[in-house]
Amino acid sequence: MPERDLEAHLRRLIETIDIANVLTEPITTAIERLLAVSAASLDSEEASVLVRDGDQGDLRFLAATGRVADRLRGMKIPAGKGVAGFVLMSGQPMAVSDVEGESSFYAEVDKATGYDTQTMLALPLRAGDEVVGVLEYVNRRGDPPHTPFTADEMDRAGIYADAIAALVDSYYSARLLKELSSRVIGSAEAETTEQVRAWLGSIRDSSGHRERLDLALLVRELARRGDSERRLARELLESLLKYSDSMNETSYLGY
Amino acid sequence: MSIGEREATDLNLTMSGYFVPRHNWRDATGRGVTIAIIDSGIDGTHPDLAGKVIESVKARVENGRVVFDPSDEGDSSGHGTACAGIIARIAPDARFSSIKVLGAGGLGDGQVFLAGLEYAIKRRFKVINLSLGTTKPHFFAPLHDMLDRAYQAGCIVVAAANNLPQPSFPSVFSSSLVSVIRSEETDPLKFGFHFGEVIELTAPGVNVHTAWLDGGYRTLTGNSFACPHITGIVAKFVEGYPNLTPFQVKAALYAIARENSNIQANA
Repeated sequence: MPERDLEAHLRRLIETIDIANVLTEPITTAIERLLAVSAASLDSEEASVLVRDGDQGDLRFLAATGRVADRLRGMKIPAGKGVAGFVLMSGQPMAVSDVEGESSFYAEVDKATGYDTQTMLALPLRAGDEVVGVLEYVNRRGDPPHTPFTADEMDRAGIYADAIAALVDSYYSARLLKELSSRVIGSAEAETTEQVRAWLGSIRDSSGHRERLDLALLVRELARRGDSERRLARELLESLLKYSDSMNETSYLGY
Repeated sequence: MSIGEREATDLNLTMSGYFVPRHNWRDATGRGVTIAIIDSGIDGTHPDLAGKVIESVKARVENGRVVFDPSDEGDSSGHGTACAGIIARIAPDARFSSIKVLGAGGLGDGQVFLAGLEYAIKRRFKVINLSLGTTKPHFFAPLHDMLDRAYQAGCIVVAAANNLPQPSFPSVFSSSLVSVIRSEETDPLKFGFHFGEVIELTAPGVNVHTAWLDGGYRTLTGNSFACPHITGIVAKFVEGYPNLTPFQVKAALYAIARENSNIQANA
């Protein structure tokens, strides 16, 4: 490919991928808003969401609120390390406090952010029967010493974890779509690229998009429940389509 | 007299008709008992645990199967050390075998911890502390089989319950293991028994002060810190009755929990 064509192709690719980011960004924004609300309710200074990174049990900070949020986003934790690593693999929520202000608590992350973790609440994020990530609350608002998170706060945080897990699940669906579109764009001719861009734009702008996504999620949930549910859902949807077709007939007469 | 008959006479029937261990189990220290901890590893250099970790292995995935190698890596998260620290305070002479299943990667979490449990049962550890679980339905049957194997081998598996809406395995298998959920009780030896509920036992699991990484200590809350309290108590029983069966352990826990609740009611 001549250099000029390559440059133009790359530019189109980058522009299109930017549009594709629009699919995931609103979800991370929604997660961070919910994080901020839940952190205020739990009197916590910092809150963050870690998600699986690869298939080896590594974790990556997806979203964060608080003073060091910018430094946390994108940071990684190797499999099985730290409190988050344990919560991901055990599915067990836990609260940990360093009430005496001893040695390093959460060494790698504190070192990188300059933050001093004294008390932490960590919960698994469950979507279906999978643990998709970890929700963490760190320290109290105001000056130290920070009081430990209570058992009652652990139970309340579990409700936020359910809502955030549903958003994380949606984030993965959107990211899948984004990766798919990037692949299509990477191998497509210019004309196809324009079509993909237009399609992505229409998804973003469509007022009916949310309803379609809800429907897709319902179908996916049904499909997950087993063979009999899948067959029943299919039969019902096919019947519904036939009904819809029949309603759209302009004439019921046979001639 | 067979071992079974001898064990039966070693257990007293109380005035109310419940089994309790005849020896003063509260004074026992867990001497002669080795507890398998399936977790994140144990930091054997911690002052509370020095000389108590007699074996450490770590899971590794090789050609699609899990193998266990000797390990001197210690603890990667602090959790296993915390659990061992809780047990060491209740049963200070008990010894630990650390079976590290966290961080192995490769096959998925459920399969690795299932392999850890199988390893502990094959080695016939009398007491097994399990703070891990899974909600994946396809692990239901293999875990059920594994717990039956543990029961038949006489291994007492103590598992942390999961207080989330979804059932978590193995803590919902009530017949073949001891499942524990946290209570706000502060006395480490005071536990409750709720016969008929899926998770039968309650034990201290709120603001528990115990060992952590780097020789430090932490204050911890969670079901997975209630579980080692019961493990430590079972180690005290086993010191007096090395051939105790899981059934007998449950009977004894039930009787003592009733005594605990009577003591609380009369206090």
